[in-house]
Amino acid sequence: MEEKLEEAAAATNKTRNLKKIILIFCVFAFAKSYSQTGQDSTKVYKKRVLETTEVDFLTSYYSQDGDNAAVSGGIGTEELTDVTGTFVVSIPLNDDDVLTIDAGVSAYTSASSSNVNPFDGGGTADPFQASSGASSSDTWANVTGSYSHSSDDRNDIWSATVSVSTEYDYFSAGVGGSYTKLFNEKNTEVSVKANVFIDSWSLIYPTELRAPENGDDDDDDDFNINNYTITGNPNYYPQFVPIESSGRNTYALGFGFSQILHKNVQGSLALDLVKQQGLLSTPFQRVYFADVENSFIEDFQLADDIERLPDNRFKIAVGGRLNWFLNERFTVRTFYRYYTDDWGIDSHTASLEVPIKIADKFTLYPSYRFYTQTAADYFAPANKNLSTSEFYTSDHDLSQYSANQFGFGVSYTDIFAKAHIWKFGLKSIDVKFYQYDRDTSFSSNIITAGFKFVMD
Amino acid sequence: MIKKFICAALISTCFSSCVVVKEYEKVNINDPDMALSEKKCDKNLTTMHSYREAAVGANGGKTGGGCGCN
Repeated sequence: MEEKLEEAAAATNKTRNLKKIILIFCVFAFAKSYSQTGQDSTKVYKKRVLETTEVDFLTSYYSQDGDNAAVSGGIGTEELTDVTGTFVVSIPLNDDDVLTIDAGVSAYTSASSSNVNPFDGGGTADPFQASSGASSSDTWANVTGSYSHSSDDRNDIWSATVSVSTEYDYFSAGVGGSYTKLFNEKNTEVSVKANVFIDSWSLIYPTELRAPENGDDDDDDDFNINNYTITGNPNYYPQFVPIESSGRNTYALGFGFSQILHKNVQGSLALDLVKQQGLLSTPFQRVYFADVENSFIEDFQLADDIERLPDNRFKIAVGGRLNWFLNERFTVRTFYRYYTDDWGIDSHTASLEVPIKIADKFTLYPSYRFYTQTAADYFAPANKNLSTSEFYTSDHDLSQYSANQFGFGVSYTDIFAKAHIWKFGLKSIDVKFYQYDRDTSFSSNIITAGFKFVMD
Repeated sequence: MIKKFICAALISTCFSSCVVVKEYEKVNINDPDMALSEKKCDKNLTTMHSYREAAVGANGGKTGGGCGCN
């Protein structure tokens, strides 16, 4: 009987102890939850990184011409026109995070590209005449998605980017990320970014090199060299070796540093390191050798080979900007960049833009830009490369030249965005024109326009 | 070249310690024309430069992706 009483007392004590433990746990849990509620109720105010959804519509019309088309071995028209349209939509997901979608298309017509096949029967084959083949026009499309996150104090910013672009003979996919740190009361900013692009070509060769006897075994085009009269050297038989690999990878690492130097002056420095591997030449760009007799069909010189370039390239670019707010009317924007790569190209770029506020809502943008570069080790003009060389090109974009660019633009800004399209207020319109002239025959011009809308 | 860049960055950092511009003094620095980047509407111009010229990078433009072959 006594044993039973002792067991009952022990059980009662256990139950009491258990109740105490549960009670302490409940008090602790309640206190913790209450303290958390207290914290939530004293939230620190922080400004949203982006107040509302913004939409930019960017468009441009580009036109160029020259006498050194790479498709026709450094001789021929470089005439090209390109029209682009791009939407950039930035959406605030919450106070700290922003999602940006950039989607664009670009449609071009190119006289030089049309001469990948100059024997289309539309007229006399001539490097200075456009042909009507499939390669005379194309559409490029691109979608880029970016996600950025800012810390509560806005001193740390992380971002990630994914991109895809495609055109008839080329596909590119890219991923990237960046980290930005602000300090010194947001007077100083350092950043690092990395990007990787995985690209691939659809190999398209000049028509005369696609013949079966030159290594092409598909029968999807109608060109038969035996149907033409070959002048110059009638024994045209190029030693053409098709390209084995069609991939191109790019690895880019960038560092940035910016500093507010004065309440009216700020500047930045940037360093980009770019490593490229794979097919870095363009398969449909012809080369004419000095040590091979020239052959022609009509007025068009037949390819001795396509350009051949190393499958590695390392690029270094160092640039700096310095902007000075002179007064309420004038601002001075300057930029300089030095570039070098292991193909033997060194270049300098310098630009100056002086925005002039002529009224509350209108600003003018006169600008000047100078560019100069040395030639790549593998460049020679038409009929100057040697067949005994391992690498050669007659692409004048890799030649030595200097270029001057003059620009003028007008900007309209309405900070209240009164004019509306549906739920979006028009915040600004920018229109700019640039004329670009090399010290060779090449020149181009571009008209760009940007429309910025903000959601109500 | 990399050493020069690092030296320039360090010198700039040293100078920065002399003057700190407060938030309320940044009215002019925050003017859109003072941005240390190209305007959005110049995006296609920068892309054209990257296609037609050998030099790329250090300007906020693209450093890879695409052939630029036309």
